[in-house]
Amino acid sequence: MSPEPTDRGTWRLVARRDFWVRLRERSFLISTLINIAVISILVLARASSAVASGPSFDLGSVGPGTVAEGAAALGAQVGVRVDVRSFPDVTTAMAALRDGSVDAVVTPTQLVGQSGVDETLQRLVEASARNAAVTAILDEHDVSQQERDRANDATPLPVAVVQPTPPHRNENAAVAFVGVLLLYGQLFGYGIWVASGVIEEKASRVVEMLLSAIRPKQLLLGKIVGIGTLGLAQLIVISSFAIGLAFATNAIDVSSSAFGAAGLVIGWFILGFAFYATLFAAAGSLVTRMEELQNVIVPINLTILVSFFISIGALQDPNGRLQVIASILPTSSALAMPVRIVLGAAPAWQIAVSLAALVGSTFLLVPLAARLYAGAVLRTRGRVRIREAWRSAE
Amino acid sequence: MLELIDLRRRFDDVVALDGVSFEVPEGRIVGFVGRNGSGKTTTMRIALGVLHADAGTVMWRSRPVDAVTRRRFGYMPEERGLYPKMRVREQLVYLARLRGTPKGVARSRATELLEVLEVVGDPNDRMETLSLGNQQRVQLAAALVHEPDVLVLDEPFSGLDPVGVDVLADVLRGQARDRGVPVVFSSHQLELVERLCDEVVLIDRGRIVARGSIDELRAMRARNLWRIEVPAATDGWWEVVPGVSLTERVDGAVVLELNDGADPQRILDLARAEGDVAAFGPVRPSLAELFREVVAE
Repeated sequence: MSPEPTDRGTWRLVARRDFWVRLRERSFLISTLINIAVISILVLARASSAVASGPSFDLGSVGPGTVAEGAAALGAQVGVRVDVRSFPDVTTAMAALRDGSVDAVVTPTQLVGQSGVDETLQRLVEASARNAAVTAILDEHDVSQQERDRANDATPLPVAVVQPTPPHRNENAAVAFVGVLLLYGQLFGYGIWVASGVIEEKASRVVEMLLSAIRPKQLLLGKIVGIGTLGLAQLIVISSFAIGLAFATNAIDVSSSAFGAAGLVIGWFILGFAFYATLFAAAGSLVTRMEELQNVIVPINLTILVSFFISIGALQDPNGRLQVIASILPTSSALAMPVRIVLGAAPAWQIAVSLAALVGSTFLLVPLAARLYAGAVLRTRGRVRIREAWRSAE
Repeated sequence: MLELIDLRRRFDDVVALDGVSFEVPEGRIVGFVGRNGSGKTTTMRIALGVLHADAGTVMWRSRPVDAVTRRRFGYMPEERGLYPKMRVREQLVYLARLRGTPKGVARSRATELLEVLEVVGDPNDRMETLSLGNQQRVQLAAALVHEPDVLVLDEPFSGLDPVGVDVLADVLRGQARDRGVPVVFSSHQLELVERLCDEVVLIDRGRIVARGSIDELRAMRARNLWRIEVPAATDGWWEVVPGVSLTERVDGAVVLELNDGADPQRILDLARAEGDVAAFGPVRPSLAELFREVVAE
């Protein structure tokens, strides 16, 4: 039995333990289920509102049916669904109207409703009737097909907009909202898990055994990677579920940015988690009991919470000054930047600066946090001041 | 040989270690004795790299110890603790693997140790369900599971019942004798240290005040004391011999200190002249007495 020549990979053992231990914890299962429930509600709510936003009508028709078919064709052009049902005579059509199986009936002479006719449906039928009348007159005057086409092809006024809305704006906002909600939950929840994992080892005193075997930096790295990987795995499961459900219920359509957004959320989770978890771990090492955890993580909690609200604000105003700044500063970019990217509001240079700032500050933060951690983690009596921890790790 | 060379450490204004040096040769058991707060735990933590020294070095086999060589050390911290919710064997395997032991070896070694140390219960029990005595034995198993080259144990006997003490003593002897492991442990149970250790290191206020085998310490430190019991004797009978003085009276006997080459046989002759001698012999100070003497200086 010869020992491995180096201890470089030891953090992987720590990561593996932290991953499996927490995977088996009940709170993991519960948080997964809660996440899936919340996502389901959001997706289903959107799915039902998507259906409701395109009104649909059942239109009874007696006679040749040209007007009713024309109304259906016009409706299709403006996103209104009109299903035409033909009836042999007025009596049967009226019976269907009375029992509610059609919303209105078109006869050669009139449009009949039960207690009234929906305004949209009425306009469609009127326009269709007018078209039919025009066609009849054109027929009477033997107007050639060529001339009719010319009349129909009269170019409508070209439309110009001052500030174009990107395609799928509405869908993207919905996707971004779900994304930022997920990111917030994961960054916060798994960050707390890192802090409490550190405290757990301190409170049970096992940390001295661990530090006699491996270096503090390895222990810190292993813990962050292990818990982060679990958070990542959960995020992937939840986003796959969300996308699958959204497609199945037509809440979003396939051409939308859902896949890209899921990728963004996952990528920014990795970066943001590395940043916040390092802070959480250092904070956790300063206290000995779980009850004291809240006291030391308040600044981190607030930072994440404020970032979350700014990101929600970015859904409305992705180019507001606050949102732009928040999406670049590493303390908030993990939440604010993905929203702006999904909404198509972030220029490439801002994304690049934001990424560089987040990655760079994490690299700076890790040795600082590791030193605090190393200095504080063996002090198992009471709360340790940051300065004390810093100095005792010299 | 494990060598601690001139270790120094301050905590703010308190000097915890003020130049601590001693060696633990391979195959030897060294007892580390001192009052509370004298620097034992700090010394051991520094030896294990858990704490940094302000100055001084720790050497193993003539090379400075680094994080990689320390993986071959076995440690039992004063503040006991393992993962409460982790299963006993799983925990031992994890700790062994952190120190570079392959999984399969770690597993069979853990199983074996739990038997040798007579840990009651199933290896798959969670740590927190074990009694304190059993947790203590698992903690010892954690120090041994990776077959360490060096053993540093901080108060390993505290909290053990007499049977546990014997089991642990056997294990330490076995490690030193069969595997040539240098063993250093701290303890306040001085008669145990006396029984078990080849050498003793006494520390007081961050300095090593005495070290050597028990006999060497006695030779260095002990006064020439003789205990004599003569029930019929008149008091002060010994005063005729120069260099002899009374140190104490115990249960009808007197303890005399002999200085300036005073001959014990001469005292015995005098005693016989006084009456029947019920007891006569040298007083061998216990480690506890030596310790008190040294610390009092």
